[in-house]
Amino acid sequence: MTAAQIFIQNLTDFLAAESAQTVVITDAAPLAGGASRDMWRIDATFDGTLNKLVVRRDLPTVMVESALTRADEFALMSAADGAGVNVARPRYLCADPSVLGGAFFVMDHVDGVAIGRKVVQMPELADARAALPAHMALQLARIHAIDPTPFAFLPRPSIGSTPAYDAIQQTRATLDALAVQNPIFEFCLRWAEQHAPPPNALTFCHGDFRIGNLIIDARGLAAVADWEFAHVGDPDEELGYLCMRDWRFGVGRLRLGGIAHREPFLQAYESTSGRVVSRASVDFWEFLGNVRWGVVCLSQADRHLSGRDPSVELASLGRRSVEMGYEALRMIEAMGV
Amino acid sequence: MNDRPNLSDLIDAARGHLESQVIPAIKGDAKLYFQTLVAINVLKIAEREIALRPTHVRTEWARINALDATEDALPFAFNDAEHALAAKITAMCSKIRAGAYDDESRRRALFGHLTQTARESLEISNPKLLQTLDEENG
Repeated sequence: MTAAQIFIQNLTDFLAAESAQTVVITDAAPLAGGASRDMWRIDATFDGTLNKLVVRRDLPTVMVESALTRADEFALMSAADGAGVNVARPRYLCADPSVLGGAFFVMDHVDGVAIGRKVVQMPELADARAALPAHMALQLARIHAIDPTPFAFLPRPSIGSTPAYDAIQQTRATLDALAVQNPIFEFCLRWAEQHAPPPNALTFCHGDFRIGNLIIDARGLAAVADWEFAHVGDPDEELGYLCMRDWRFGVGRLRLGGIAHREPFLQAYESTSGRVVSRASVDFWEFLGNVRWGVVCLSQADRHLSGRDPSVELASLGRRSVEMGYEALRMIEAMGV
Repeated sequence: MNDRPNLSDLIDAARGHLESQVIPAIKGDAKLYFQTLVAINVLKIAEREIALRPTHVRTEWARINALDATEDALPFAFNDAEHALAAKITAMCSKIRAGAYDDESRRRALFGHLTQTARESLEISNPKLLQTLDEENG
């Protein structure tokens, strides 16, 4: 049998055992994946009824980085589903790497568009964009209301520290580990240290909530995807993060992900969550998000430069870093040097 | 020597090949197509760096001299100048982290210098974005 045939056979057997139904896989196609895991679109009949599914799998050869495991991600998505968050419903988890070569889980397929440029531009999604600010506010309020207590594996600020202070220290540690001398980010981190707003009560945070990781259909937000960076943190971190210029996909004047102005969204979030939001705090976190993403770009370039992962795409990310550095400086100017 | 084609010509030739010969042949392979567009952009960055970097090294050096009230001479040979500038930047990074520019007038002067440095870097890596941002500012 070929590798593809073994994949189909083992997945069929797994789904049949989990569902106690007769399973036939009628179609399987790879979806865009990353360096450490991949995704498969699967059509399968369960006792003759067609189900559209997605398999998210760790790749066997790659070391798992600091992101969450598939089992953790499955648990979080199940909790989010139970809390009324729109997610692709998680169905089955398999932590045994012998079945498909790496741990995986199976979830429902959600129809829609995730690619950022398409979300901000497609004429067919104009109604969806009008509805999105309210949808995003509601979904984030529900995410921030999830009780993180059962999830001991979630990263959280160290005792006696704050999310902002931890983020500053971690970003400096990354620069030091890369042996990068970057005065723009050094200045931004020094400024951040001296201007961090008072922390909010810690909440569950999705960690990567932005256009590009949200599945959009004609009516609006169909599902929140990519839960692997979930953590316990400051909820304003997420409100600022999704406004970062790089997540506006070329529509820079619309601060909320290139689809709308920020203020109506923040007001909708306040009325749904019942929490008063400091605009200055959200500004700060958007600024710090730029600094962190700019430094991540340098880390990505280092994967190429070190020879670990030769790639022109990773190399070019290094030169994108200054886009975030300049944006961070512009934000400092607006907030007050 | 006065070899022809020169460095810029060579990079331009490689970029032209990718654009006119390779890109049309790989439109069916989305991943390879995207990566080749990235490669073309990388070569454009390199071409702009060859054209602009010698001037930027001089202007950045002069700004750091002004910021720190020094009158250090920039080494004449380009590679030596790059090394000397890198050493100055390393020293500046340590001083920033240690709070040596916390005082308001020093901080504002540093901010002005870094903003200009970022703009020069964007002139090389993404001049279109710089233009868009300037237009946004009105």
